[in-house]
Amino acid sequence: MEQELRTGGGGNLRAAHSSVCFSGGLIDGPRIQQLLLHCATALESNDVTLAQQAMWVLNNIASSQGDPSQRLTSWLLRALVARACRLCGPAGATQSAAARAPAPWERAMSVTELAEYVDLTPWHRFGFTASNGAILRAVVGSAAVHVVDLSVTRCMQWPTLIDMLSKRPGGPPALRITVPSARPAVSPQLDVSDEEIGLRLANFAKSKGVQLEFSVIKCGCPSPSPTSSPPKKQAALCQDLASVLSDRQSLGLRDGEALVVNCQSWIRHVAPGSRDAFLDADADLDSPSLATRIAGCFDFHWILFDALDTSAPRDSPRRVEHEAAVGRKIESVVGADDADGAERSESGARLAERMRRNGFAAVVFDEEAVGEVRRLLSEHATGWGVKREEDMLVLTWKGHGAVYTGAWTPN
Amino acid sequence: MEVEATPTTAVSSSGGAAQLPPPGPPAKKKRALPGMPDPDAEVIALSPKTLLATNRFVCEICNKGFQRDQNLQLHRRGHNLPWKLRQRSGKEARKRVYVCPESSCVHHDPSRALGDLTGIKKHFCRKHGEKKWKCDKCSKKYAVQSDWKAHVKTCGSREYRCDCGTLFSRRDSFITHRAFCDALAEESAKARAEAPPAEDGSSAAAVVPPPAPPPPPPPAPHHAEQRNEPETNATEPVQFAPPPPPQVPALSQTSVSAAKVSASSSSSVAGTSQSLLGGMFAPSSMASARQFPDLVGGVGRPERALPAKPPSLCLATDASSSIFSAPVSAERQQFAPPPPSPSPHMSATALLQKAAQMGATSSSSSFLRGLGLDVSSSSPGASSSGQQQHHQEAMQVSLPDTSLPQWPPRLETEPAPMLSAGLGLGLPYDSTGAQVCLPELMMGQSSLFSGKPATLPELMMRDGRAVVLQPIVQRLAPPKTFGAGRGAQTTLRCQS
Repeated sequence: MEQELRTGGGGNLRAAHSSVCFSGGLIDGPRIQQLLLHCATALESNDVTLAQQAMWVLNNIASSQGDPSQRLTSWLLRALVARACRLCGPAGATQSAAARAPAPWERAMSVTELAEYVDLTPWHRFGFTASNGAILRAVVGSAAVHVVDLSVTRCMQWPTLIDMLSKRPGGPPALRITVPSARPAVSPQLDVSDEEIGLRLANFAKSKGVQLEFSVIKCGCPSPSPTSSPPKKQAALCQDLASVLSDRQSLGLRDGEALVVNCQSWIRHVAPGSRDAFLDADADLDSPSLATRIAGCFDFHWILFDALDTSAPRDSPRRVEHEAAVGRKIESVVGADDADGAERSESGARLAERMRRNGFAAVVFDEEAVGEVRRLLSEHATGWGVKREEDMLVLTWKGHGAVYTGAWTPN
Repeated sequence: MEVEATPTTAVSSSGGAAQLPPPGPPAKKKRALPGMPDPDAEVIALSPKTLLATNRFVCEICNKGFQRDQNLQLHRRGHNLPWKLRQRSGKEARKRVYVCPESSCVHHDPSRALGDLTGIKKHFCRKHGEKKWKCDKCSKKYAVQSDWKAHVKTCGSREYRCDCGTLFSRRDSFITHRAFCDALAEESAKARAEAPPAEDGSSAAAVVPPPAPPPPPPPAPHHAEQRNEPETNATEPVQFAPPPPPQVPALSQTSVSAAKVSASSSSSVAGTSQSLLGGMFAPSSMASARQFPDLVGGVGRPERALPAKPPSLCLATDASSSIFSAPVSAERQQFAPPPPSPSPHMSATALLQKAAQMGATSSSSSFLRGLGLDVSSSSPGASSSGQQQHHQEAMQVSLPDTSLPQWPPRLETEPAPMLSAGLGLGLPYDSTGAQVCLPELMMGQSSLFSGKPATLPELMMRDGRAVVLQPIVQRLAPPKTFGAGRGAQTTLRCQS
């Protein structure tokens, strides 16, 4: 009797004759994954019965408070159920997001909470540190620097840059930071406005002797309402971004400034077709096949879940917020098959290729920047590492690539 | 990009022929799948004993054992081997990855294998081993000696304190926090009002390590007496100079939430006092030395001194002065017995059996009910008081009178503490409107299935009979608690 899981027909999960048997005992990682894939296959072929059965079993295993596999499974299951409900018909299914009370991890955070959130693991700060290192090197000799910041972490990157700039031999440059008022409607959500952030940053910069000018670009369209569908939101955001980024005047570019465009986790929200312009997660999660995407999700997101398990207790609110953020991403990846409406991240290699095609050359991170990154990682749990991959830096957890960051300059 | 369903396999075999790296610059490096470091790697699964054996590398000539491969190679040279024997087998060219022997561990899965032997050894000790190395200063415990050594070097050595009272061990975190903290805003407001601001060194205090705090009862008087000194100095209107080493372990076990609370409550506190310490403690009046004994003694009277904070924030009853917020709590909390996980008593087979009996439901609301899920509720269990509740919600279905034909009766007698009985969904109906009975369901002949023979129930059966299941059932291991692998089952002595 076979002990292992096997699928017939090579890697193609949609093969008609899969024969799988579970040997007795525990349901663990590979088996959960197998169940998830079966569920996905069932959904793709509109097989409600099979999907339901698989979900039933998964529901027994999943727990948002258990070990990393259980937690990740619970989010994946949520996404699958949401999708299945749409499949079964709109009648009486889920209440709209607006109607139900927000869960604890969905409510907006304060700035200090966000700072804590960002620093729970090196996931975000890895990119901050590497990018800041690259920025510092790129603006050597410039008296004025203008940063256009497209990030999901609301300026958490800049205090350390300001600090580094304040110590620059020869004195700090005059710094300008510009953010667009439109942004992807993803977590983390802050309870303060951009202007307020700008005020505090400017205050901080002043205390360090750095002159900072902060501006918010008002984007043409009003923010999409929370209840509008993802494709509409997507389209609106694209439009906003495109209009803002292509208009020199609206960006307020000035001559004589070194311009830095900082793109953190935004690329995935922009429809693949229009991604021509890098902190992003290192996974190709945009296959048209649901099963492939789910496998990709499991294979990738466990990394953060495992790291969080090492870095925070099971009931830590920041940890749950991180996991919920991943849950939302999963829901987006699982929910829609056509890539336009949802979040689709692509791996570093593909982004690099895209940048090259559009006339950018990669800027290598110097040893100092890498040293700073290593120093950062040494302050966190053992298990985090960094490696170079084709001019980019990749954050690794127990050897598995998690996040990549790169820098480019026009040819 | 196709993803293989089966990971690169089981024990000591690999999923592909060994490939020599292409000569010269590789045209296109094979892109690894997300989470899979090297698809061609050879997966090695060692038993715990072998994994921890100190001398894994054995010389084939004289049987002498070595901890490291390099040492073995050096030794072999000394044997003056003839040329042929000097070469090692071509296996060395292939990358090896190692899985954790603990079957419930996430790294037991080959696709989450770790790339080096030392790494998997350390992981195994850390996660599944006994923590034998203890830090004297903060009583953190480690299973791996090198972890312990690394910790002892840094324990209590560098601390950054923000005006709002939060302590940081990482400089970047401190800088970022400070930039946005309310405390800075107030300082600047004061500074603008009163005097030109001094150098911003106020909070970047790399303080001398505080003496190891004694166990809980003594800290109260201990702190009081230490704090009196800084307090008497700190009464200038604008206090920017760093205070003498604060002896305050500002974070308690619930430090994650405490930090948050301190940050948010500082806004209510600030603006009224002018000393750094006063800003941390006194809600309405100037902090003075006299107040401290009160505060210190006020562990049981939080409402007076610390309106919004848990009392343990400032007067950490916990002896540990470690300023690691999340990681420290994590460490401690990991020692507490983990909450009971769901489905400890259900084996894979039993779950599948039950699932197989569920019928299809057509509308989405009953679909949800059938699963026992309510997507509109706040979370998959996060709001519950424990997994038990979550679990029971899921299984509130009742057994129909239309009994389950021919299915092994063991199902009813099977102990299933998490479930209340079987199904309530009704059996599926075929196109003629008749109820489909179970064997047909099992065989997947029913017209309900859209032509795909692969179904979950069928997956368990061959020839319409529970053939496959029988052998499975016979081999059922006693039910293990899911995720229980965390506690050490055996005593492992881990070094480095």
